[in-house]
Amino acid sequence: MLNLFRAEWHKVTGNRWVAGCMIWIFPIGAFGFVLVIGAILALSSTFRESFTEEPTRWTDQAVAVWELPNDPTIGRLILVGFTAVVFAGEYQWGTWKSVVPRNRRLALILTKFFTVGVFVIVAFVVMSIILALGSWPLVAMAGGTYGPKPTGEVIRDFLGEYALQAATSFTAVMIAAGYAALAAMLTRSILGGIVAGVIITAAEGFSILALFIVGSLFDVPRLVLLYRFTPTYNLLNVTSWLRSNEPNAINFENIAGTNIYYSDTLLFSLVMLAMWMISLIALTSGLFQRQDITS
Amino acid sequence: MSDTIAIRTDGLHKNFGRGKKRVQAVRGINLEIHAGQVYGFLGPNGAGKTTTIRMLLDLIHPSAGKAYIYGQEVHQRHGVLRRVGALVEGAAFYPFLSGRRNLEVLSRTGNQYDRARIDALLQQVGLLDRAKQRVKGYSTGMKQRLGLAAALLHDPDLLILDEPTNGLDPSGMHEIRFFIRNLADQFGKTVFLSSHLLGEVEQVCDRVAIIHKGEILREGAVKDLLSTESQLRVEATPLDKAAEILHDQWPIATNTDHLMVKASHEETPFVIRRLVENQIDVYEVSSQRQTLEEYFLSVVGAEVKQDA
Repeated sequence: MLNLFRAEWHKVTGNRWVAGCMIWIFPIGAFGFVLVIGAILALSSTFRESFTEEPTRWTDQAVAVWELPNDPTIGRLILVGFTAVVFAGEYQWGTWKSVVPRNRRLALILTKFFTVGVFVIVAFVVMSIILALGSWPLVAMAGGTYGPKPTGEVIRDFLGEYALQAATSFTAVMIAAGYAALAAMLTRSILGGIVAGVIITAAEGFSILALFIVGSLFDVPRLVLLYRFTPTYNLLNVTSWLRSNEPNAINFENIAGTNIYYSDTLLFSLVMLAMWMISLIALTSGLFQRQDITS
Repeated sequence: MSDTIAIRTDGLHKNFGRGKKRVQAVRGINLEIHAGQVYGFLGPNGAGKTTTIRMLLDLIHPSAGKAYIYGQEVHQRHGVLRRVGALVEGAAFYPFLSGRRNLEVLSRTGNQYDRARIDALLQQVGLLDRAKQRVKGYSTGMKQRLGLAAALLHDPDLLILDEPTNGLDPSGMHEIRFFIRNLADQFGKTVFLSSHLLGEVEQVCDRVAIIHKGEILREGAVKDLLSTESQLRVEATPLDKAAEILHDQWPIATNTDHLMVKASHEETPFVIRRLVENQIDVYEVSSQRQTLEEYFLSVVGAEVKQDA
């Protein structure tokens, strides 16, 4: 398995454009961001004043990074693209025919998912470190204070919050990656994988609206309950439980004369998310097992 | 000939598409290839050669029938493919990686990374100097050489090579032919060679199968197939009388200054005796062994005529 992973690692890092524009762009972007802010701080006294209006905390800087992979406009799109390249690239380069006889198809696909996950974690952890450390001289330039002091308690709390944010974002990314991988395997094309992956991810986010409209049109208000089974809802619910210790309740008033309210336990959402991840990986693997490699 | 069967197929079928668009690419192929042989697989474009090879490598699932490598069903026991090295329909590599890195990726994929072996193979195929260059800058011939190195990475017992000399210059082709023959003769490897270069197949293969429209038309040892179709070129006078005499016993084709008699090399004395006994002056009798190309064209051509 380690050899397979190293093979995948070489494929990604050797493809400099893909690795640069879809993975290393996050830490490089963070470094560039620090440099640009530093330059502005050096040149603008107004900016220096506004920069220190709110206290800057390294803990917040590090945790905030993990919101980026969930951002549907840039972060999610880039990571869907990255996944599509990892999975559909083999069709484009015609390399499946050299790879498939050398190992089991299931192992090949699972390693690809694992590789995507590792790259996402490495990229965003490095990005967190760059932003957390890079903000230190920026705050110093602006004359502010950079806290909190890294005591045992602060680090414990930080690690807990960091792990929570990273885990929820990572789960969201892996589900989007699952869509992209499935689409890439079906279309056998990088572009097809990206387009279909983005459409499915967006459609899933907007599914509540679609269910609401269809439910109202056909007088089946309870149709909106299907939203409970989507990754988007369950990710929100998990975040709500972990942050506020309460569910992310959904309340629809007067849909075709019916009020619909629902909330779910943390366990329900964790199980649903796990099922989504496993199902998407299983579906992609199953599809690949049956697929004829003709190119 | 070894008793071990390297490749066996039982009624291998492959259909593509459905309904009216259904194409029968392979129709009930039965093969049995003994270990240690160089086996040629001939056929015109679209005959089903590559589809058969892809089924042997578990790249394509048969619609019916089974493929066995060293007695193990390929689809059920994928691990048996570790004994196989393959080059399918032109070598394909990661264009952004160097030649050496491509070999490393492929050997790691097979869990058999050995840097020294990679270097030795690069040396063997003449690419050691260009090993650090990205594959996208390689010529077709260089990619083909790298493909051969990739096929040999894990020292396989069976090599499945689909048009291995494509893109190579004449000296490169000669080298590869020698290399293939040597693999069987020196190292006891089995080679399954698909090629449209019939001269190449005739030079290196022990046995051949001719496939056309998804079916095997002929199969056998190269020398047996060609000896059954050998001819004698007879120069004699009077030519028309000679033709009349020989016609009873052998099929004859008359040309302006000679006859072509469909008879084996062993029948030469009988032909001469028959002519001399009938007062025909014989100037020259030479055995015209049919080439594999001529044989192939006669087999495939007959099939085409039959279809028409």
